Amino acid sequence: MKTIKRALMILLTAVITFTAAGCTGASDKKIVVGSKNYTENMVLGSIISQLIEEKTDLRVEYKENLGGTMVCYEALKNGQLDIYPEYTGTALTAQLKMDVINDADKVYDIVKEEFDRQFNIKWMKPFGLNNTYAVALPNDFAEKNGIVTVSDLVPFAGELVFGAEHEFFDRQDGYDGMVEAYGLEFSGDPVKMDIAMKYQATAQGRIHVTDAFSTDGQLITYDLKVLEDDKNFFPPYYAAPIIRKETLEKHPELESILNELSGRIDDQTMQQMNYKVESEGMSTREAAREFLKSEGLID
Amino acid sequence: MNDLLLSILVHLQITFTGVLIAAVTGIIAGIVITKNKTVAAIVMSLTDIVQTIPSVALLAILMMLFGLGDTTAVVALALYSLLPIVRNTYAGITGVDKGLIEAGRGMGMTKIQLLVKVQLPMALPVILSGLRMAIITALGIATIGVLIGAGGLGYFIYRGVQISDLTMILKGAVPVSLLAVFVDLILQYSEKKMAKKAKRA
Repeated sequence: MKTIKRALMILLTAVITFTAAGCTGASDKKIVVGSKNYTENMVLGSIISQLIEEKTDLRVEYKENLGGTMVCYEALKNGQLDIYPEYTGTALTAQLKMDVINDADKVYDIVKEEFDRQFNIKWMKPFGLNNTYAVALPNDFAEKNGIVTVSDLVPFAGELVFGAEHEFFDRQDGYDGMVEAYGLEFSGDPVKMDIAMKYQATAQGRIHVTDAFSTDGQLITYDLKVLEDDKNFFPPYYAAPIIRKETLEKHPELESILNELSGRIDDQTMQQMNYKVESEGMSTREAAREFLKSEGLID
Repeated sequence: MNDLLLSILVHLQITFTGVLIAAVTGIIAGIVITKNKTVAAIVMSLTDIVQTIPSVALLAILMMLFGLGDTTAVVALALYSLLPIVRNTYAGITGVDKGLIEAGRGMGMTKIQLLVKVQLPMALPVILSGLRMAIITALGIATIGVLIGAGGLGYFIYRGVQISDLTMILKGAVPVSLLAVFVDLILQYSEKKMAKKAKRA
């Protein structure tokens, strides 16, 4: 009985110290950076973390791979996070609950102003990449026929089969809108398939054209070309760091540091980093570090 | 291997801290509500309701109160563990043979003495089996703590699914299953021992 009592006491002490440790809030010298639950966002979060670590004497805690937009966004509003990478299109539709707008600059201006006014959150300058839907097809076919934009695809569409995941057919900015905007007439009915299969199916010629996320690392794996959305049909999802106003007031130097990243990460650079992490097994931290070094932002 | 070992330890820490909090509050609550049937019904339907909240939603709500990290996961696990513990404590205590209680009373035992010397020892196997269920369930649920930045084995499973890396998924899933089986065996064994003891008493 005595040993049980003692064991219980030890456990209880453990619980109390453990809970107490969990309660210590963010100190003045600490910045908490977060990221959502996919490779790209994690790499971007790591880039932000390592840059701040290098350029300031702040201690950076990086909470990687949190459960999606809602978790990151609520944590930022409540002050459990100071910074995380967000996308203009997501902010517009998911957080501001507004309709899709196709003008990229307009979307950025709206989310910047509304986040500042409504939530005390500041948008920094965009990284450059636009992670939106795109049309993709095998590189060799595109090269042979000189297809660069979606409009270039129109004359060939009649002999090509389009395939995509189910969601693409249900979205406002998906299949129906796309074929209408460009006047595309693909051969037969489009094929609906699992998202994990579509790139492979395209590379193997089971379908010829598919939808893609413009920064997806798998585009490199399967040697697919992303066509330019020359009619700006797909809504813009430009990524940028967002930061609490309170944090920025305490550490104003962060603004210029974060803006050093502005325009430096285009779709191809992001594809490469995603590819290295997802296909070559590089850690998100290494991929981010390699990028920062190659840009001369850290030593 | 080192990160795996650390993850296993954190996983166990989160699980056991959560269940321990639930055990302390749940067993006390389970005993107290045996005094009043209406209160018992209310408390038990409350624990039922908690159980029906999807774990991701519960985590998201708790995150706003307890922040990102292990604390939120511990609280969530404590809430989920309440149901089997409260229910089994209640069932165990009310299930004690009336004759034994009468006998105790006849010997001049006070209410506290009755509880400590008769009711609790007799109910112990049932309470333990509730505890066992709570721990096994919590070991599994603890994997989703990764969603709000808590540590544990969930990270390997979650990240493995994201980058379709089967080895990584197994690195998280196999230890979770092994831990569950292992804990189950130990507790079952002690349950049987207690049951024998209770019978002899």
